[in-house]
Amino acid sequence: MASQLATLYKELQRAFDSKPSDLKKCGTLLSQLKIGLIEAGLLLPQGDPNPQDLAVARDILEIGAFWSIRAKDVPSFDRYFSQLWTFYTDYRSVLPPSKREFPVRGLNLIRLLTQNRIADFHTTLESLPLPSDEINSNPYIRHPVNLERWLMEGSYSKVWNAREEAPTEEYKYFIDSLMGTIRNEIARCEEAAYETLPLKDAATLLFFTSQSELLRFAEQRGWEINLTAGTISFARKTNEQEAIPKDKLIVANLLYARELEQIV
Amino acid sequence: MSDVPMNPPADKKTDEKSSTEETKKATPKPPPPPAVEIKANIGLIERAVNDIEPRFTHRVLRSLTALRKRINYDVLREAVEQKWPGNSSQVKAGLLAWLPPASSPSGGDMDVDKSADAKGSDSKAEPVPEAEIYFRLLLIHHMHTSPDTYRKSIELANDTVEKIQVLNRRSMDPIAAKVWFALERSYELGGELADARPLFLAAQRTAALRNDDDTLASLINRLLRNYLHYSLFDLADKLVSKTTFPASASNAQLARYHYSLGRIKAVQLNYTAAHTHLQQAIRRAPAAKVAPGFYQAVHKLSVVVELLMGDIPERSTFRHPVLERPLEAYFDIVKAVRSGSLEDFQNTLARHAETLKADKTYTLILRLRQNVIKTGIRRLSLSYARIALRDICMKLHLDSEEDAEYIVGKAIRDGVIDATIVHEQGWMVCNHQRDAYGPEVADVFGKRIGYCLELHNQSVKAMRYPLNAHRKELTAAENARERERELARDIQEGDFDGDEDGPGGHIGDAF
Repeated sequence: MASQLATLYKELQRAFDSKPSDLKKCGTLLSQLKIGLIEAGLLLPQGDPNPQDLAVARDILEIGAFWSIRAKDVPSFDRYFSQLWTFYTDYRSVLPPSKREFPVRGLNLIRLLTQNRIADFHTTLESLPLPSDEINSNPYIRHPVNLERWLMEGSYSKVWNAREEAPTEEYKYFIDSLMGTIRNEIARCEEAAYETLPLKDAATLLFFTSQSELLRFAEQRGWEINLTAGTISFARKTNEQEAIPKDKLIVANLLYARELEQIV
Repeated sequence: MSDVPMNPPADKKTDEKSSTEETKKATPKPPPPPAVEIKANIGLIERAVNDIEPRFTHRVLRSLTALRKRINYDVLREAVEQKWPGNSSQVKAGLLAWLPPASSPSGGDMDVDKSADAKGSDSKAEPVPEAEIYFRLLLIHHMHTSPDTYRKSIELANDTVEKIQVLNRRSMDPIAAKVWFALERSYELGGELADARPLFLAAQRTAALRNDDDTLASLINRLLRNYLHYSLFDLADKLVSKTTFPASASNAQLARYHYSLGRIKAVQLNYTAAHTHLQQAIRRAPAAKVAPGFYQAVHKLSVVVELLMGDIPERSTFRHPVLERPLEAYFDIVKAVRSGSLEDFQNTLARHAETLKADKTYTLILRLRQNVIKTGIRRLSLSYARIALRDICMKLHLDSEEDAEYIVGKAIRDGVIDATIVHEQGWMVCNHQRDAYGPEVADVFGKRIGYCLELHNQSVKAMRYPLNAHRKELTAAENARERERELARDIQEGDFDGDEDGPGGHIGDAF
């Protein structure tokens, strides 16, 4: 590997490890390093390159993934993750395990969760190189898995309480955007499940601390607020009589007639 | 690892099928000695090549698994000697090079050789290349029987595949498909399944370009299995979306394909599609006793998918003699889900964790947790007109009343139950009287009718008519007409006064 690449890599490590890490400097270093990696043929490695070089390349990309989260740039994280995929699957047997692998994978899982891509979430989860019982013992993976389970069940308060249990700082960024999703989910449940709800309880259910926040939220969703009684009432969708789907029935019957004709 | 045991039994089915066919054809009960059978098979293959009638090749391949258990190197060498009597043939040298050196030939062998020589001189022409590939296929399968020759079998399989590619004969396609299967097995036994992937991908492309449906079907299944073995569902899904599975593929291949699709769809939470595919796989699969491994694997997955869809599988599934024992763990899970008790479910899960992990269904079953809760809530909503959230919490073993409120709220929104929560009193009021005769009934009915009609049409399409069978009838009719004409002539000659084109003409017309 070129010596220039090595010095840049050292610089990146220093910039990334310093507290607080210098995001801007990391960004410029990363783009320089990526060009370097492409020139060395390591960004998307093919064939059998030197394992040490590969490990360095993987490290750079992992730092890049973390940096993207810290810089709140999710599409960039997505790109870094796709690039890392080759290192995590195809070169798994060649490379020494990376201590950042599972945090990165966990972050990816949470990202899928916040984007509500549940099917992708499960596909990714199934393809983890972990035996099924280790999913529950690996803190980086357990966290998103638990979140998904609670979300699906509807145990929203558990999700809310899990905010503080994030295994690394980067998870918190996603948790915040997850909260927005949850609030909308809860609101939709409330619309279906309640006729009226006292303002105070609505605030607790939706995890609002002040009433003004709740009022703003209620306005967005178009809820009727009765300030004097201190309640919210939800417009119930009346079950109107559903019309008979004539067209559909006709089409189906014609189809049966035609098929019967063929048989007889 | 559920795919691994699938193959040998899946293969067994073909061999059993052929054996039933053999008995149907009233061949002698004890199978002929392997050498004779190989010879007969080669004859069939040659006939298939010369008549361009792949049916004969298929018949030979059906007996492959039964045959491969009975062969050994000596039998193979003998058969090769019979087929290529001279020493000049390069093909023969090539084949013999893969066989280990002969053990001291016994007197009996010599006898056979002599008679073989006599017969061999009858066949003048050089045997078709298909015969050589068939020998190689048998040899690869035999090498699978002992771990010492795994490495060698990979080499031979690769060599054979190259030969097939060079020869590029359409009459070889059915055999080639089997060779690919043998190649995969070689790599799998050698423990380097991932290495075979580029090979398969390249071959799949070639097969698609050459419209080689047999090989294509086999290769797509090989690739899917390869991906699923390493849990690469993304890649498997992309492969499925980018390829079209040949419609003319055999049932065995279709069953495997549907099983793979079922697995992919189940992982992607598309349970309805998964269920359809698994149903297809079950329908296409051979009888339960014939291929128990495949039958069990499909049913295991199908039970889990049905549960995930919110249905309860039929009780009779678990009483089936082939399924009863292997599906014990799943039966317990079904019982736990039905009862709607989370505690029960967790205990059952812990008890059977090992079995489920071995079947690769553990993570799917973990997803059932929410179904258990939903079933529980639905049961409560049916039996109570009004119930306190605290009681729900206690009955379903939930962690807190707060959770219960959210969970019930979600259940209402998802349409699991029809109820409202009264927050101030802390209870749930259920509204009943659901109209059971809505448009959904018509939908379900339509779906079932559609399925039946589809089944009927498929069976009609699958019917086969023997070739040229109508000729016989035609000649029979021709003869009858001839007789009539003669009769008419006789009548005329016998000075029969009457209608000129008498009865003969009329009867002739009737034909």
